[in-house]
Amino acid sequence: MNTFYSVLISGLTVGALYAIASIGLSLVWGALGVLNMAHGALLTLGGYVAYAAITGLGLPTGIGVLAAVLAGAVAGGLIYLLVVRNVLRQGMADFEANVMIATVGIAIALENGILLVFGGQPLKQPVTVDGSMTLGPLVLPWQSLIIMVAAVAAMAVIATALARTRMGRAIRATAQNRDAARLMGVAVDRVYLSVLMISGAVAGGCGLLLSSMVQLSPSLGNDPMLKAFIMCVVAGLGTLPGAVLVSFGLALLEAWVQYAFGARWGFPMLLCAVVVVLIWRPGGLMGRVQVRRM
Amino acid sequence: MTAPPVLELRGLRSGYDGIEVLRGVSLSIAAGETVTVVGPNGHGKSTMLRTISGLVPLRQGEIRLDGKPIGPHVHLTAARGIAHVPQGDLLFPGMTVHENLLMGAYLCPDSAEIARRLDEVHSLLPKLADRRSQLVSTLSGGERRMVGIGRGLMMGARILMIDEPSLGLAPLVIEQIYEVIIRMGQSGRTILLVEENPARVADFTDRMYLLDNGEFVWSGAPTELLASDELITAYLGG
Repeated sequence: MNTFYSVLISGLTVGALYAIASIGLSLVWGALGVLNMAHGALLTLGGYVAYAAITGLGLPTGIGVLAAVLAGAVAGGLIYLLVVRNVLRQGMADFEANVMIATVGIAIALENGILLVFGGQPLKQPVTVDGSMTLGPLVLPWQSLIIMVAAVAAMAVIATALARTRMGRAIRATAQNRDAARLMGVAVDRVYLSVLMISGAVAGGCGLLLSSMVQLSPSLGNDPMLKAFIMCVVAGLGTLPGAVLVSFGLALLEAWVQYAFGARWGFPMLLCAVVVVLIWRPGGLMGRVQVRRM
Repeated sequence: MTAPPVLELRGLRSGYDGIEVLRGVSLSIAAGETVTVVGPNGHGKSTMLRTISGLVPLRQGEIRLDGKPIGPHVHLTAARGIAHVPQGDLLFPGMTVHENLLMGAYLCPDSAEIARRLDEVHSLLPKLADRRSQLVSTLSGGERRMVGIGRGLMMGARILMIDEPSLGLAPLVIEQIYEVIIRMGQSGRTILLVEENPARVADFTDRMYLLDNGEFVWSGAPTELLASDELITAYLGG
């Protein structure tokens, strides 16, 4: 029974991390229709900025956490202002492919910049919480609980903002019909900037949480970025609630596969899930199937 | 027309890629007037409205609002008091009817004013109140058209540009939609309408323009156009 709970907690913790990583990716895809390949590098940046603030500058942990989130937001904003906006101004043809290639470049530059500043050796993230709580047969590490609570909070804040705020409505409107949104007076440029900043902030926070579980390294964000992409494809690109649900579902499945068949079978299982879903439902499990009366 | 024009087009030229659709179009509308542009399909009626709202880039000419030239910034069109209800409506299919209407009032900071506009739209188009929580993608063509017009009303604009409101709809729905447009005109709004069939709008249109091959070939009172077999036969296939 203890093994069951251990695998469950492990699956939920990893699922929470996948969910936070995929929220940002899905948000950008949903609003702009482009894949931000630098998303993983923003995760890494968040982890290192917190490390530098706390260990290097001796700032309090809370400031370090805030710095990680802010660094992600600023980097996301800069990606839009310096790259995406200019590519968009060149015209809509090949916009998606051009942004994808440009953000691959940014990811490589950011990763190498981090390598140059911090070196390639793994570093220990100071933001960790030791100990655990016991609920009957369930032993829940505080670190896992914090990650799960943070994931749920991030999801709730973003979902509420999208549904209830003026900017949220503007983001959804722009994602559904850019020209119509502009006709209503929405400054699409500002919407895109906000989306990249929100996505970057979530990525920064996710990088911090992730690095508290493993160690900091310049390639920290690569694996979660790939997994987040898998979650987004399986859920249906651009569907936020779908990405979150699939993240938890597949992470639990991955945890059970790793327990039953060995750790090396976890990733192939995820890839198989993508293949099966793309054959069965090309738009993803919860992708936007347009119900339209003729 | 004695009142100064609220909207004026001077020698408008625009088009898509290498094709010039509008070839020097000039028009003026006074406040409170209802002006209809008629003409055969594919001769630039919709392009004219899309150029005014900035969706199609202006190549040459000038658009003047209250006597002052305006630039082609789409997102400023609403702020300038111009509501464009385009052909095909350009709605937000994944949002509910209510959310689509709220998007019309995106620039309005006053929640009491938004509620007042919602009441007005619901009284003019009661079906939208019934369909409030329904996703727009699941509505019929006529209902989508109503959402488009309702959203235009929610913008609180003084100039309404409506592109072919009757296109592809059942006669009963067309009647309902024109009833709303007539009431909007009676409430003092300036209306620039695009329509293929002049007979349908002649009763409530102050002036009419006939657009052919990107140029106005005639303008005057609707009764004159309907009385002229020559014009109807030459330009409207009638």
